[in-house]
Amino acid sequence: MASLPPIAIPGQRLGPLSTYSAGPGTHVQQSFIYASIAGPVVADPAQPKSQTRPTLRVSRGIPSKDQASSNPAVPAVTSKPRYNTLPAVDSIVLARVTRVQKRQATVSILVVLDESATQSQDQSRTASDNDNVASILTSAANPENHSSTDELRFQALIRKEDVRAVEKDRVVMDEMFRVGDIVRGSVISLGDQSFYYITTARNDLGVVMARSDAGNMMFPVSWKEMRDPVTGTGEQRKVARPF
Amino acid sequence: MPLDTSTTYPLTRLRLDGRRWNELRLLQAQISTNPASSGSSYLSMGNTSIMCSVHGPAEGRRGDGGSAGSGHAVVEVDVNVAGFAGVDRKRRAGGSDRQSSRIATTLRSAFQSHLHTYLYPHSTISIHVSVLSADGSLLAAALNACTLALVDAGIPMPGLLCGCTSGMSGSASTPRDPRHDELDPLLDLSLPEEQELPSLTVATTTAVPVGENNMDEDEEAMKVCVLTMESKVHATYLETMLAVGIDGCSQIRELLEGVIKGSRG
Repeated sequence: MASLPPIAIPGQRLGPLSTYSAGPGTHVQQSFIYASIAGPVVADPAQPKSQTRPTLRVSRGIPSKDQASSNPAVPAVTSKPRYNTLPAVDSIVLARVTRVQKRQATVSILVVLDESATQSQDQSRTASDNDNVASILTSAANPENHSSTDELRFQALIRKEDVRAVEKDRVVMDEMFRVGDIVRGSVISLGDQSFYYITTARNDLGVVMARSDAGNMMFPVSWKEMRDPVTGTGEQRKVARPF
Repeated sequence: MPLDTSTTYPLTRLRLDGRRWNELRLLQAQISTNPASSGSSYLSMGNTSIMCSVHGPAEGRRGDGGSAGSGHAVVEVDVNVAGFAGVDRKRRAGGSDRQSSRIATTLRSAFQSHLHTYLYPHSTISIHVSVLSADGSLLAAALNACTLALVDAGIPMPGLLCGCTSGMSGSASTPRDPRHDELDPLLDLSLPEEQELPSLTVATTTAVPVGENNMDEDEEAMKVCVLTMESKVHATYLETMLAVGIDGCSQIRELLEGVIKGSRG
């Protein structure tokens, strides 16, 4: 078996289909696997239960220098390559409310939380866009930052019937969200060309950060109320369960 | 200045710029030159230099009609020949001239069928080609620059698309003389040669290996993707010109692969 090249070029033959199965960045022609894009070649070892052959893929990432120099024969990029995270169905997003209407609330998506970061413990080692979630949220919660960047982000809708799971018909949008709130939601549909659709109909979804009328950050007191620590007044929200 | 190719070339076997018949001009290229685009490249073949940037695949324009609604990405090409690209400065009224729109049409149809567009339904891949300096073989140089920019953008394709020109010196409008059967093909024409001599542009990609011999590592198998010719030549010369052009394409392919490996490695 010929050894794999460290860097593939589109059109380069990587191996026969009898030895490998084709992964992302490759295509199959005449029972051979060819590279479709330029990048380092990665052979994922075979999963014992699901498949019998290792999967060849061409990653879009650029190999780091130390890996290439220390072990040029095996271009094993162990860490999963990171792409720009686009919202997909079932991904958890953080979004800011930009408009509240009678039937729906418009939000703009600030962060897409990837599943790997929430599941794995070695969250600290994998660098991603979400490293600066805290800074994104603090800047997003400031009222002066609201207008400028909203058009650049992904827009999404929370329809009235997607706000909560119980008493859907009694939902009053004004008592659920207020403009400027930060909402944790789950994408239910990619929607049309202009809006994603988001639901908050779960206990762990809903408003996570909000400011009161007086402008102070509020803390949650129940699933439907948040309170201002300074003035002590409560406001109604669809609150996400704190972790 | 009269072109002396027809008089001096049979004597010296050297072209105006000192090349032999089968030599390419110096090809230099960079990729990822413009960080604002998805992929970009700068390529110069001799004195022809071209900048190319690729945007997308991005969401197609709304109301784009039937083409955008299909399951394939749509390739858009925009070619701009700078006013200072030629010998004399041209002032144009904003629009595109015949030459650049012809290059754009050829590029679009070449890459539309070449790229794996089925992976990006409802989207648009837009390619912007800027000719900074024109010294012949514009279409071939634009093809090579676009290929590099598309590779930089990470758009999947079955292989590199490499273009080259070839021409025929001598009295190419008359049939071959069987008594002294000498052919004078030229590779990679510059602008004076292109104006004087019949020439064609050919672009190839690595072909699908067919048949029983697909197990050997014969990488020389080629598939012609683009073939245009805008001048007249007697049909007996065509085969030689094609062979020379295809050989030039494989030389260019090696150069482009070196550029890609140099930037990714």
